Amino acid sequence: MRTITLGTAILGAVTGMLGSFAVLRKQSLLGDAISHAALPGIAISFLITGAKDSNTLLLGALVSGLIGTFWIRGIITKTHLKSDTALGLILSLFFGFGMLLLTFIQKQPNANQAGLDKYLFGQAATLVESDVWLMAIVTGICLIVLLLFWKEFKILLFDKDYAKTLGFNTKTIDILITSFIVLAIVLGLQTVGVVLMSAMLLAPAAAARQWTNSLATMVFLAAVFGAFSGVFGTAISASQDNLSTGPVIVLVAAVFVLISFVFSPSRGLLFKQIRFIKNRRDLELHKTLAFMYDIVAETHENISHPHEIKILNNFQGFTKGTLKKLVEKNYVTLQGSTWSLTEEGFESASNLYNQLTENDG
Amino acid sequence: MGSAQIEIQLIASLVAVACAIPGTFLVLRKMAMISDAISHSILPGIVIGFFITQDLNSPLLIVLAALTGVITVVLVEYIQKTGLVKEDTAIGLVFPVLFSIGVLMIAKKANDVHLDIDAVLVGELALAPFDRLIISGVDVGPKSLWIIGTILIFTIILLFAFFKELKLSTFDKGLAASLGFSPVIIHYGLMTVSSVTTVGAFDAVGAILVVALMIAPAATAYLLTTDLKKMLWLSISFGVFSAISGYWLAHWLDASIAGSITTMLGLLFLVVYLFAPSKGIIAVLYREKQQRTEVSLLTFLLHLKNHDDVRERHVNHLNEHINWQKVRSKTVLDLALKNNMIRIDNSIVSLTEKGDEFTTKAIDYIITNEDAQIEDMKEDFFLFRG
Repeated sequence: MRTITLGTAILGAVTGMLGSFAVLRKQSLLGDAISHAALPGIAISFLITGAKDSNTLLLGALVSGLIGTFWIRGIITKTHLKSDTALGLILSLFFGFGMLLLTFIQKQPNANQAGLDKYLFGQAATLVESDVWLMAIVTGICLIVLLLFWKEFKILLFDKDYAKTLGFNTKTIDILITSFIVLAIVLGLQTVGVVLMSAMLLAPAAAARQWTNSLATMVFLAAVFGAFSGVFGTAISASQDNLSTGPVIVLVAAVFVLISFVFSPSRGLLFKQIRFIKNRRDLELHKTLAFMYDIVAETHENISHPHEIKILNNFQGFTKGTLKKLVEKNYVTLQGSTWSLTEEGFESASNLYNQLTENDG
Repeated sequence: MGSAQIEIQLIASLVAVACAIPGTFLVLRKMAMISDAISHSILPGIVIGFFITQDLNSPLLIVLAALTGVITVVLVEYIQKTGLVKEDTAIGLVFPVLFSIGVLMIAKKANDVHLDIDAVLVGELALAPFDRLIISGVDVGPKSLWIIGTILIFTIILLFAFFKELKLSTFDKGLAASLGFSPVIIHYGLMTVSSVTTVGAFDAVGAILVVALMIAPAATAYLLTTDLKKMLWLSISFGVFSAISGYWLAHWLDASIAGSITTMLGLLFLVVYLFAPSKGIIAVLYREKQQRTEVSLLTFLLHLKNHDDVRERHVNHLNEHINWQKVRSKTVLDLALKNNMIRIDNSIVSLTEKGDEFTTKAIDYIITNEDAQIEDMKEDFFLFRG
C-alpha cells in the first residue's frame, strides 16, 4: 500500500512536471498518441524475450513510443497532413497493431502472458518496490536535466526562433524534452494504463497553468497537483472495492482542474464573472450619473436644483441600487422624492467622458 | 468460405465505408482527434444505456452514446471558449475524464455482466455473426449488420443531400456562412454522424478501430489526391480493402480481426506515405534535393556574374569560394553546362549569353517582393526539375 501510494505520487509529480511543457508547447495530445504507440513495443519485447520483467517491457514501450513520436513529426513536417491527423493516425494504427500482437501472444503455447493486459488500463496494485525505485531514479534524472537545461527549455518553449538565432541547437533540445515526455508516459503505463495516461500528463499542468504566469511556478505546482492526485486517487480507490486506481487518479486530477478553472483568482471563471458584473455595474452607475448631468446642465444654472426621481424611470441604467450607490459616493443627495447633484457629483460627471477620475477604478 | 466468414467481411466492409465518409471530412477539417475523443467518451453513455435496458444492442444505447459523443464536443468547445486552455488540451482533458467515469461505472455495477472494457476498446468482430436479428421467428442476419447498414444508409443520404454545403463549409467557412449555410449546424451534424457511426461500429470493431478506420483511409487518400470526390472514393476503397485483407490476415495469424484490419491500414498508409507520387516522403525528399541544387545553381551563377576577374572564376577557386563539397559543385557545374548557362575554357568558368540573361532575370526575381509580378517568372526557374 505504501509502495503504491509512493509510486503514484512520484508518477504524478514527474508527469505533471513534464506535462507542463507538453501543454505549453501545444502538444497536449502527443501524450495520448505516445501512450497508445507504446503498446506494440510492449508486445514485441515480450515476444522477443518471453519474459514479463517490467523493465524490459518498458524499454520496448519506450522505443516504440519514440518511433511513434518521430514518425508523427515526420508526417507533420514532410507532408501536408496536419498534426491532428498525424496524431490520430499513429495512435490508432500503433494501438491496433499492438492489439494484434497481444491477441497473437495470447494464442501462443507458452501463454504466461496474462499480465500484458494490465498495460491497457493499468494496475497500480502490481507496483513493486523496484518499480517505484525506477520511477524515483527517472524522476531524479528528469529533475537534474530540467535544472541543467532550464534556460534552454524555457527559451525554446516561448521563442523558438530567438533560441535559434542565439545559436542554441533547438533540434537537440527539442528531442531531449520530447524524449523525457515519452519516458514519463512509458513509466506511467503500468500504473494508469495506455488510455488514461494522457490525462495524467495534461490535467496537473492545465490546473497549474491557471494559477500562475511563471514557468517555474507552473512546473512546481503541476508536480504538486500531480503528486496529490496520485496520493488521493490511491487512497480513494483503496477505500472501496472494485475501484481501479487509474481512473480514480484521473478523476481526482480532473477535480483539481475544475477547481482551478473556477476559482483561480486571475483567470478563473468565477472571478472573471464577478469582474464582469462589477464592470457592468460601474457602467450603469456612470450612465445614470451622465443622464443626471445632462438634465441638470441643460435646464438649470444652479446644479443642486432638486429634480423628481420619477423622471429617471425612463432611463435604462437607472435602478434604486444605482441611486443608492450614487448617494453613498456623495455624488447625489436625496430629499424626499427629489434628487439633486452635489458639487462633487457634477465635477465627476462633467469629467466622465474626458478622462477617468481616480474614483472610477 | 462459410457464411459466417462472408458476414464478418461484409460487416467489416460496411463499417469501413460508414467510417470513411465522415472521416474524410474530419481529416479535412483538422478535427481528426475529435473522433478519438468521441470514441472514448461514449463509454459512459453506453454504460448508462446498458443499465437501463440490460441489452447491449438496444437502440437506446446508440442514442445515449451518440448523445454523450455530442456532449463531448460541446464540452470541448466550451472549455476552449473560456480561453483557459488550448483546444487540444481541452480535448485531452475531457475524454479521459468521461472514459474514467465509464470505467468506474462498469467496475462498480456491471462486473458480473457481459460488458467489459476490453470489448469496448477492441471489439470482437468474430462473434458478430452469432448475434442474430430475429424478426417474428425469421432469421434475417446478424444484428450488427443491420445496425451498421442503417447507419451507413443514413450517412449516404445525408452525404448526397448536403454534399455541396459540407464541401463549402469545409474549405471556406466564411463563404459558407455568408451564403447562408450555417456552419454551426453542419459542424454539429457532422459531429452527430461521427458519434452515431462510432457507436454503431464499436460493438463490432471496437473504439480504436473506429478511429483508425476514420482517420487512416482518409489520410492515405489525402496524400494521393486533392479532389474531394476522388478522396472520398479512395478512402472508401482503402477502408474496404483493409477490412477484407485484414480479415484474412487475422484468419491466418489467428489473432484479433480489429487489430489485423488496423495493421493493414497501417501498412497501406506506410506504402503510400513512402511512395505517393508527389506527396510521398521519397518524392518530397527528392524534390527538396532538386530544389537545393537549383538554389545552388542560382548562387553559382550570381557569383559568376559579380566577379569578372579571371582568378575568381577558376574552377578550383569557385570550389573554395562557395565552399561546396566536391560532389555538389560537380552536379551544379554539370547542370549549368547542360543548360548552356556557362562555358569552361581552360578551367575558367564564364557565363554564356543565355546564362547572363537568366541571371539578370534571377536578380529581378529575388528583389521583387510582390507575388503577382513574379508569378510568371516562377516557371523559368524550375526548368531543371527533371
